[in-house]
Amino acid sequence: MSDIPASGGRFAVRLALGLGLVVAVGLGLIWALGGYQALLDWVLVEQRRAQSTLAAALRALRGGAPGAMAGLMVVCFSYGVLHAAGPGHGKVLIGGYGLAQRVRLGPLAAVALAASLAQAAAAVLLVYGFFAVLGWTRARTEGVAEQVMVPLGTLAVMGVGLWLCGRGVLRLWRGRPEVGAHAHVHGPECGNAHGPSPEQINQIGGARDVALLIAGIALRPCTGALFLLILTWQMGIALAGVAGTFAMGLGTASVTIAVAGLSVWAREGLLANLSGARVARVLPWLEVLAGALVVMIALGMLQQGR
Amino acid sequence: MFLGGVALCIGLAGAGLAAAHPHVFVDTGFEVDIDAEGRVAGIWINWTYDDLFSLIIIEDRGLDPDFDGVLTAAELAGLQGWDMQWDPGYPGDTYALQGGVALALSGPSEWSAAYADARISTRHYRAFAAPVVIGAAPLVVQVYDPGFYTAYAITAGVVIRGGRNCAAEVFEPDRAAADQILQDAMAEQAGSADVEMAFPAVGAAYAEEARISCAAGS
Repeated sequence: MSDIPASGGRFAVRLALGLGLVVAVGLGLIWALGGYQALLDWVLVEQRRAQSTLAAALRALRGGAPGAMAGLMVVCFSYGVLHAAGPGHGKVLIGGYGLAQRVRLGPLAAVALAASLAQAAAAVLLVYGFFAVLGWTRARTEGVAEQVMVPLGTLAVMGVGLWLCGRGVLRLWRGRPEVGAHAHVHGPECGNAHGPSPEQINQIGGARDVALLIAGIALRPCTGALFLLILTWQMGIALAGVAGTFAMGLGTASVTIAVAGLSVWAREGLLANLSGARVARVLPWLEVLAGALVVMIALGMLQQGR
Repeated sequence: MFLGGVALCIGLAGAGLAAAHPHVFVDTGFEVDIDAEGRVAGIWINWTYDDLFSLIIIEDRGLDPDFDGVLTAAELAGLQGWDMQWDPGYPGDTYALQGGVALALSGPSEWSAAYADARISTRHYRAFAAPVVIGAAPLVVQVYDPGFYTAYAITAGVVIRGGRNCAAEVFEPDRAAADQILQDAMAEQAGSADVEMAFPAVGAAYAEEARISCAAGS
């Protein structure tokens, strides 16, 4: 009799987790069936509005209007949210990784936040290194961002995809996951097949993964942030620009953290509704699929060049 | 369940592929002079840049140091022609067509620039190789950046001077059709080894256009 509440509880957990998968698939379908275009159209209109508000906020700040600094931070945060919701690439990386690997939400969200702040820091370093210190022109500084950093960042994104994909393929190729787990016990993620302890499965797969994820996001600076940093430097309100850039970073982080949550929820929803043996069979496929997806998107980004 | 995951993947992939986005927004207007025989020698193009990009250009040039939104005569003189130094081969983002055939346009001339309400506006003229007769087929004028760094919208009006019973209409792009063209172009490129290839020049499919027509007869 004591089994009943326990299994009832398990059922509730499975249902709650399964709902995550339904939500994610539903969003994915809306996305695929034209919802994304609608979102992009909306982002375009809002981005245009945000650009005007940003210009007004900068002028107000320069003119010493009260509350102008707070206003600038709000505009920058919204700009970051818009950028991440529309064209931003961080959600692809974080979401792809969250689907592919059995990571806990906490560490994944922390990586998402760190990556967004690193992206802001990269923009600051770029502008202050080349534009402010070396005296390069705006066009030349933006050229470095577009022609050097963006391709490097895209390669890092592709690296994450290939890494996930390759790991999954290797596990499939080795056949039964148990064999794979014994073949390379050094990776904490490899213990999955045995029904390992939560501490083992819930770690982000090593410093290399964290570094690749952060590099993939941070190396592609947002043009909006470069505009802001260069403008505020020229206008003599440089610190406000740096603060605004980090406010943009927090804005993008709010979206990538939400995506991290959704990906973990969806993945656990799928796995919670499978038997233990099936989980072991499905996991490498998840890695392969999510990895291939990230690679495809990185190829798309290379073609667009921005 | 698994199919659901696959659907999610495909959706996300589509999202990544269509993610080009503009950083400069330009309100565009045209002016067309039509003679009594319905001939057009060229097009005047008006561009008004968004607040942020205008501020960037002003700051780049060290203008308006007191931030009062007004340029001195000397500053305004320095602003003339700033967006008219086109690289050879740059098509100027304005395209004219008639009956589906592209019409060649000259380089820009007679340009001017103004600064009002914290936004920069510029105006320039582009001539056809030979006068175009607006007859059975309307004159179509599109404005777009093939790489979509700049987003143009024909929101500043189309002015027609002269002609008989001539009128202009502005058409929105067919989004669904444009998306299909973009996806096809992407699919075509994905097969090639050259991943450094530029973003496919699909801007035309996303472009708004002004169609200028004159009523037949009279």
